[in-house]
Amino acid sequence: MRPLIEISDLTKSYGSLHAVRGVSFAVAEGEIFGMLGPNGAGKTTTVEIIEGLRDRDGGRVSVFGLDPAKAGSEVKGRTGVQLQQVALYPRLRVREVICLFASFYDRQANPDELISLLGLEERRNARVGELSGGQAQRLSVALAVVNVPELLFLDEPSTGMDPQARRNLWDVIRGFKADGMTIVLTTHYMEEAERLCDRVAVMDYGKIIALDTPRNLVHEHFEQDAIEFSSTMDWSISELRGLDFVSSATAQGSEYSLFSTNVPGTMGHLLKFSDAKGLSIDGMRVRHATLEDVFLKLTGRTLRD
Amino acid sequence: MNSVVQLFLTNFREFVRDRQALFWTIAFPIVFVGIFGIVLGGGDEGASYDIGLVIEDDSQEATVFAAILEEFDAFEISRGLAVDELEQLQEGKRSAVVQVPRGFGSALRTGTPQSLQIHYDASQLTTQQVIIPVLLRALDVADRAITQTRPVITAEFRTLQAEKLGYVDFVMPGLIAMSVMNTGVFGAIQMVSLRERRVLRRLSATPLSVWKLVGADLAFKVVVLLVSTAILIVTAVLVAKVKINVENLPSLAAVVVLGGAAFLAIGFFLGAFAKTEQGFFAIAQIVTFPMLFLSGVFFPLDGMPDWIRPLITALPLTYLTDAVRQLMVGGAPINAMSINVVVLVVFLVGFLGLAGRFFKYE
Repeated sequence: MRPLIEISDLTKSYGSLHAVRGVSFAVAEGEIFGMLGPNGAGKTTTVEIIEGLRDRDGGRVSVFGLDPAKAGSEVKGRTGVQLQQVALYPRLRVREVICLFASFYDRQANPDELISLLGLEERRNARVGELSGGQAQRLSVALAVVNVPELLFLDEPSTGMDPQARRNLWDVIRGFKADGMTIVLTTHYMEEAERLCDRVAVMDYGKIIALDTPRNLVHEHFEQDAIEFSSTMDWSISELRGLDFVSSATAQGSEYSLFSTNVPGTMGHLLKFSDAKGLSIDGMRVRHATLEDVFLKLTGRTLRD
Repeated sequence: MNSVVQLFLTNFREFVRDRQALFWTIAFPIVFVGIFGIVLGGGDEGASYDIGLVIEDDSQEATVFAAILEEFDAFEISRGLAVDELEQLQEGKRSAVVQVPRGFGSALRTGTPQSLQIHYDASQLTTQQVIIPVLLRALDVADRAITQTRPVITAEFRTLQAEKLGYVDFVMPGLIAMSVMNTGVFGAIQMVSLRERRVLRRLSATPLSVWKLVGADLAFKVVVLLVSTAILIVTAVLVAKVKINVENLPSLAAVVVLGGAAFLAIGFFLGAFAKTEQGFFAIAQIVTFPMLFLSGVFFPLDGMPDWIRPLITALPLTYLTDAVRQLMVGGAPINAMSINVVVLVVFLVGFLGLAGRFFKYE
């Protein structure tokens, strides 16, 4: 099947800042494609070029077989976009905003069905300016699908939501996928990417540094589980790396992580080591490696940096 | 088309649900015009000016002259000694003092030209604009009556505009033109706000065209402009007793719409260079403030020094004020109406083009 989005050698600079430096990837119809990376990695610029909101300097972009720089209007008509930090008309009511945005498109979803799909029934007559952060976020998702798009871009869709609301939103997004939408999801939340995305592209400094399914990404980089502990004392990373079975060790402030091929073995050594050195351990747990670890290993930074 | 209707409705809802916008667009101009009306007007009908008359000559000619002056409805004549009357003028109890010198009658009989002394307070705008012309006309009438010359050309006294138009009639059209300018230029703040709040960015991700967005905004502003101007005119008529030319109201509405659209275009242009609402407010203030004083809103332009005239000619409010004043109260024209209209059209088209050229989604 022909991919819905095809990008090759995409470049974009702002003055001397090279925001996107040769990005190539393809998104298949019906998949949820994740874009991970810290702020300034070039995710937003890449996504906005695909949406037809920005011009590119070089490379080829094809969406629905069209070039968004030339057929912007048609691409926009078949695409839904959710953006961050949009303060919509504060004195408009929820239902009024949905009807307003629906009027921009030929194909329109039923406003009341959208309202109930995103759990905004009780706020349908509330003014947009009076919505809580999570409610405003749900409204922005509703507006993104007001034209029943074939392709949906979501940018940090669950920002400001409590865990329950976040899980509900994930169900809604899976529903969109089940309805046949192709979704490009930009996010900081590792869990969101791991749970929702079929494939994930990790971006840093304007380039894609890894692209695969979440499971493969983790397995490719970590065959082991992680031992985590916190300590207010200074540990030497190189000495931690020297412990038996340890493949890598990192520190984030007072949080230490050791990846080990033999967790019980490493634990025993760690406890002996701390006794010998007179170093205290405040709390210890074992977990599987995540995309966050992959990102840290690939870039030396956390996603929130 | 549906999208334009929805955008128009959005503007309407945002406007009527915003108490601040309502106050500044509707209530504030009414209060402003109302205060001007109460201070300046309130019964122009039969308004009279106190004129001190000092007769130092006991000839028959002097008596006839006094009688003729007293016949003018616009004057309330008090006779007295020069010292007393000049003191009254000092205290502001006289608008002007006319002094008929000794030997006035005998000089006239021998055909020697005579001059009267007229004292007035040069700082009093009303005196300069209204009383002096009327007084001069009265002198002319008296002159002819006394010297028995039969003028070949006579003028109907009623046609003298200065008799009918007081300062309040002058300033009310100015205030309306000012309000049109403010509604137009400051009306563009919404577009700046939409950009600042990233709504324009969001709209640019839809197939909506910029021209529909701008068109709906323009259409809504025109409605606001017509309603607020109508309210102002009613206030001016009721509170300030301004006599308006009712038959010109349709043309006046057209000029208000044209002027408002031109100033909105200027606002859109300025808005392209402002990042925030506050920034736009500052720029708009800088642009509109000088026009209040250089476009004949509050003062006639006759008294302006020559070096500033090119600037006056370059300001769009000069043409709008002139057009509104001509249509509303039949004020003395500065330019032909066609020139006013053409200049405003040029401003509208020019700045709309510039605004489109510099328009930014973010």
